[in-house]
Amino acid sequence: MLKKSAANVVGIVLALFFLFPTYWMITSALKPKGSTITSDYDLIPFSVTFSNFATAWSKPGFLSSLGNSLMVTLIAVLAAIIVGITAAVAMSRFAFRGRKSFVLLMLVAQMAPFEALLIPMFLMMRDLQLYEHLSSLVLVYFAVTLPFCAWTLRGFVNGIPVELEEAAMVDGCGRWGAFQKVTLPLLGPGLVATSVFAFITAWNEFLFAKVLIRSQDLETLPVWLSGFQTAFGTDWGGAMAASVLFTVPALVFFLIVQRKMVAGVTAGAVKG
Amino acid sequence: MTAVKTTETAAPAGSIPPALPPAVTGGARKRRRGGAFDRALPYLLLAPALIAILWLIGWPVVSVFVTSFRQLNLGELVRGEIVWTGLDNYMTVLQDERFWEVSLRTVVFTVSVVVASVGMGLGIALLMRVLTPWVRIALQIAMLCAWAMPILASTTVYQWMFDQNYGILNKTLVQLGFDSFAGYSWFSSGSSTLSVVGLLIVWQAIPFLAFSLYAGLVGIPRDLYEAAGIDGASGWQTFRAVTWPEIRSLLLMVTFLSVLWDFKVFAQIWVFREGGPSGESTTLPVLQYLEGIAKSHFGVAAAISVLMMVILGLITFQYLRKLLQTEEGKI
Repeated sequence: MLKKSAANVVGIVLALFFLFPTYWMITSALKPKGSTITSDYDLIPFSVTFSNFATAWSKPGFLSSLGNSLMVTLIAVLAAIIVGITAAVAMSRFAFRGRKSFVLLMLVAQMAPFEALLIPMFLMMRDLQLYEHLSSLVLVYFAVTLPFCAWTLRGFVNGIPVELEEAAMVDGCGRWGAFQKVTLPLLGPGLVATSVFAFITAWNEFLFAKVLIRSQDLETLPVWLSGFQTAFGTDWGGAMAASVLFTVPALVFFLIVQRKMVAGVTAGAVKG
Repeated sequence: MTAVKTTETAAPAGSIPPALPPAVTGGARKRRRGGAFDRALPYLLLAPALIAILWLIGWPVVSVFVTSFRQLNLGELVRGEIVWTGLDNYMTVLQDERFWEVSLRTVVFTVSVVVASVGMGLGIALLMRVLTPWVRIALQIAMLCAWAMPILASTTVYQWMFDQNYGILNKTLVQLGFDSFAGYSWFSSGSSTLSVVGLLIVWQAIPFLAFSLYAGLVGIPRDLYEAAGIDGASGWQTFRAVTWPEIRSLLLMVTFLSVLWDFKVFAQIWVFREGGPSGESTTLPVLQYLEGIAKSHFGVAAAISVLMMVILGLITFQYLRKLLQTEEGKI
């Protein structure tokens, strides 16, 4: 009994440890301007205002970088999911020459240290005249997320018994019909989980966004946020409000699909 | 919080009715019917992915090797000149004391962050089994908040918490009576800066590790523990005999992933102090950025990238070999 209550105390302390930065981000964002930069001890906010959110929202660059981030991320992830699912179906449902090597290629590509490809990517985008162009980021994020999407979706397709598809085909569906009517709906949760994980990867990306884009109109949200302090002094209330706005979409997605994501990422690892 | 059920490999024993076959593990089936189109179909389905990977990953990998043997500064780049210099770039890098310092720092940093986060992740996963449900749920929600925060948002929050003058950490320390922390700078040395960055990364990495390992732990059949209980095994013996063998490969997998992720950390380090003070928190990805993008020494930076991959390969070689072997058996 004592052991269990001790464990619970540790659990609560850990929960506070994980929660504190989120708490601090939100309360700092809600504090009136000026009250963040006093030497008073202010663990609990005594007066609350939303003006920091208004400030962050109307800062030059916030809305455009939010739009850029959303556009780049959505296009890249959509492309990676479409290309990934066709590859996953091929890997999982067909026997053909070279299948094994292709599956290994996907596995290895998934582990490629992308950051080490900064220089060739930079030179390549320059040669393609895509430097200073958002489509360079679309291509990079597509490439980063594709092997992951294909690999994870393969795991999800493997989890759907092929017999179901075969039964549909016996009942007169074509192969495409069987896939569309049987496999695709069952694949739904896996598709959602995979795309959210890919979304978060691209949503977070900083290095390539910083290197391939110089002009402020084309900045993505991470790069904009990293420049927040230098551009506007150290307006911590504003920076925290912007961080909250940046976090909310990611947090919502996470809460929806978190279980499936763990399944997807560690697929194939549990029993080695 | 139930275990992972969506993939055949991750299915906990007993949770899937035996009527379903272990769905086509690596599930290829021969289809003899059909003509040329059917035989071409898998290749058609693969073609977009294959082309994209060869073009956007394969070519850059080749290109980084090729570039590392060229003299390529801004001048050559603008003029489109190709100047081969053999091993000069590597000589420049390897003879630079700073490179060895930075490499050593990167490896030490990676290993410390991985050990800390995997160790704590496993500890929390084990703890979660013991907790009262509402405490467990509170802990899980707290961890989800940490996990979900975009990297740049969490980096900004940590900068604010560790702020020299108005950060909550210094304020709290002063409140507790440690007056010397008033206006204390956590970023006056490289090791202190990297410790803060490390704390941030560990804090944000633990949730994924704890959730995956917890899913693995929940999947261990109960009767194994009952049997151990009947045999009168102690807690430690049960862990050694039952828990450890069941989660070892999962633990290896998440450790390997953590090494890959932590080795190449750039955003957090750069945003904190751009590798400073005076280069003391510079790691290999930062060095590559400084040489390549800031100084436009693309050839030298490419050599650094290649060496980065070599070092990462050396750290992960054993695991990768094992993984490829088991995967090859499976697919």
